[in-house]
Amino acid sequence: MDLSLTETQEEFKKVAEDFVKAEVPAHQMTQWYKNKQTFRPELVKKAAEIGWLGMMLPEQYGGAGVSAMDCAVVFEALGHGPVPGPLFTSGVLSAQMIFEACAEEQRKALLPKICDGSSIVVPAITDKAAYWGPEAVETRLAKTPAGYIMNGVKRFVFDAEAATSFLCAARTEEGKVVFLLVDAKSAGVSIKPHIGFFVSVAEVRFNQVAVTPADFLGSSGASWSTLEAALEKSLPILSAYQVGATQEVFDITCEYTRTRVVFGQPIGRFQRVQDHCVDISINLDMARWATYEAIWRIDSGIDARAGAHEAKATASDGYYHGTNYAHMVWAGPGTDYSHPMMAHSVLAHTLYQYLGTPGQHKRLMMDALYPRAS
Amino acid sequence: MDFNVSADPPHVMDFRKEVAAWMAEEFKGHEHLRWSASWSTREDQDEYKFRRGLAEKLGAKGWLFPLYLKKYGGAELTVDHQMVLETELFKYGLNLSHVFYTLARIVAPVLIRWGTEEQKTEFLPPITRAQICVWQVLTEPHGGSDIANCQTKAIRDGDHYVVNGQKVMVGHHLPPDYLWTLVCTNPQGKRHENLAWLHIPANLPGVTIQHMNLMMGIKNAVFFDNVRVPAKYLIGGENNGWKVASTHMELEHGGDGRIAADPLIERVIEYCRNTHIDGKPIMEDLRVRDLIADMTIELNTLRRFNQLIYWRRFAKKPHPYGGPQQRYYQRMLRLRNGERLQAIMGADALEQNLSVHEVVDFEYAVRTGPGQLHGGGTLDTDRLIFARRLGLGRPTIEKAPETD
Repeated sequence: MDLSLTETQEEFKKVAEDFVKAEVPAHQMTQWYKNKQTFRPELVKKAAEIGWLGMMLPEQYGGAGVSAMDCAVVFEALGHGPVPGPLFTSGVLSAQMIFEACAEEQRKALLPKICDGSSIVVPAITDKAAYWGPEAVETRLAKTPAGYIMNGVKRFVFDAEAATSFLCAARTEEGKVVFLLVDAKSAGVSIKPHIGFFVSVAEVRFNQVAVTPADFLGSSGASWSTLEAALEKSLPILSAYQVGATQEVFDITCEYTRTRVVFGQPIGRFQRVQDHCVDISINLDMARWATYEAIWRIDSGIDARAGAHEAKATASDGYYHGTNYAHMVWAGPGTDYSHPMMAHSVLAHTLYQYLGTPGQHKRLMMDALYPRAS
Repeated sequence: MDFNVSADPPHVMDFRKEVAAWMAEEFKGHEHLRWSASWSTREDQDEYKFRRGLAEKLGAKGWLFPLYLKKYGGAELTVDHQMVLETELFKYGLNLSHVFYTLARIVAPVLIRWGTEEQKTEFLPPITRAQICVWQVLTEPHGGSDIANCQTKAIRDGDHYVVNGQKVMVGHHLPPDYLWTLVCTNPQGKRHENLAWLHIPANLPGVTIQHMNLMMGIKNAVFFDNVRVPAKYLIGGENNGWKVASTHMELEHGGDGRIAADPLIERVIEYCRNTHIDGKPIMEDLRVRDLIADMTIELNTLRRFNQLIYWRRFAKKPHPYGGPQQRYYQRMLRLRNGERLQAIMGADALEQNLSVHEVVDFEYAVRTGPGQLHGGGTLDTDRLIFARRLGLGRPTIEKAPETD
């Protein structure tokens, strides 16, 4: 048993922390989230130069071949920003999905471009927001002599605006869910940002989009279980990002209890205020250690399915509830869209929904631990 | 990171084989006592005799406190050896802290920290070899969480302290050999500076013990009526009782760590697989599965918190609020799980089942949810300490006291 980071991981963490301080200062980050300008091409370029995009991939595909824990410490530090943009969507989830689904030729054609940032591949999986699973894939593929025609509306696609192409789930005429790549500039693809209490999400409409068998991942478009394999390795990285973000909320809130004076004393002397900080801390550390344990399982080659769902559930819950408790401490000032709390609050709600809610992931965790008969 | 608690470095591989074989031999015929993981509040003499005997055998080998010097009853082994002992014992549902019902796990490190060389040589071996049972007796009828407001007086009289007063809600259903306690040596003295810590032989004249029947099981009131305690039993020196108490309470309040998991969930799953409604096991019911999911995640979290504290303690990486965080979380978790058990199995969760050990008895789990919210200080004191260690509203962050 050793629950410390390695020297390399401490270095990775330091580099990412310095990046956040230099490139994503709080006043600027707040404006990006406030104005919904969260796709920052300059950040993606710099991240690619450092080697963060696709870093878990083997070196022959442009990655750094690092462990999941090495990657997680970087994403945890990025969460402190919170650094926006497609570093997870393209550099982790799409990269893993392509790696899992494709043979050598497709891997060589697609992955190096993800790693150098010249292509940004954004997953567009479910059509219906109210469910997470293959049942919520409704986009249709109709066979034609020349290939396929795709029709559907993917709602709440995270980082859609950044995409050079979409990694889409679609249903064949036989009802099978397959995965394929669609160029974002293809005729019939349109992107419309969603307006509401979330950020970096858009509706992506596929209207009579022509696709060919060459666009399919793997020889036959892979399957939902391929996505599950990619998610097993990716969800804990997203969880680490959420843990870093929750840590930031915790840190700024604890500091606020020392400096904000009302009724003649710092608010941190009031036990009810203290209780809110205690609750943030518990949500934070629940998520942190569930995430680390899942990642340790991945790196050790132990079945991590239940752990990955547990990590996503606790990290989404932790960021969401942690931010809500922080609002109890910050009160009025924390509700200003120019305040860092609002960036976190909006992102916490967005990521709570992204790739399935905590409730859905808890059910998936249970299915992995205790499969159902029916 | 490595969460594996059984990844043996080469120097302990043979030791694991030796321990596994030894345990298998000792548990022969006593397999039904598996999952006796904590203090039992039930009056089961067979179990008590077995566990006390097992503890003495472990103690004779120095295995209860494997890290300690041999002269203190240890075996001068490494943390890796200790992990082997913990994990092999856990196969039988036990852990080194609770082989039998004594508070050695907290008392011994406090003696190491605050005892004189003479006291360590004399007092430690009987404790670390499990030859005696020690109770912690701290709570007073009017004290509650404010234990520094200690009314039990110990007035120096030559080579003795004369102790008068009362402690309540302590111990268990079987008698102690020693009472490990905080006393007031100067009723007029300044708060926190008028206290002393005593290790009192329980057979001294003037000590009376009476059972109290409480929600958590049997506990006791201890009366001291002009008890003359030889001064050699003073731990940590004159008027230093509060510092000794701080070390003690850090260990009691979650700071000791564990590498074992709570076995309750296993029985819940078994119950849900064997209980059918409308021809289907309730384990298939999504509502039930959602409740079990929350229990699973929270019990996993507690296991990870315990493991983290254990690792930090022995890797000498002290953490300011790990202890109170674990403590507060554990108490609230028990309360929530008590409600979940009732939501899953209805009144079956309220019926006592004497055929299983209490740590996996649903009724015990439900009853001790509210019953264990306060032992060793309320959950509000947990949060108070937590807040100080976070430095909320303060310019400085309070450090955790040294444990060992």
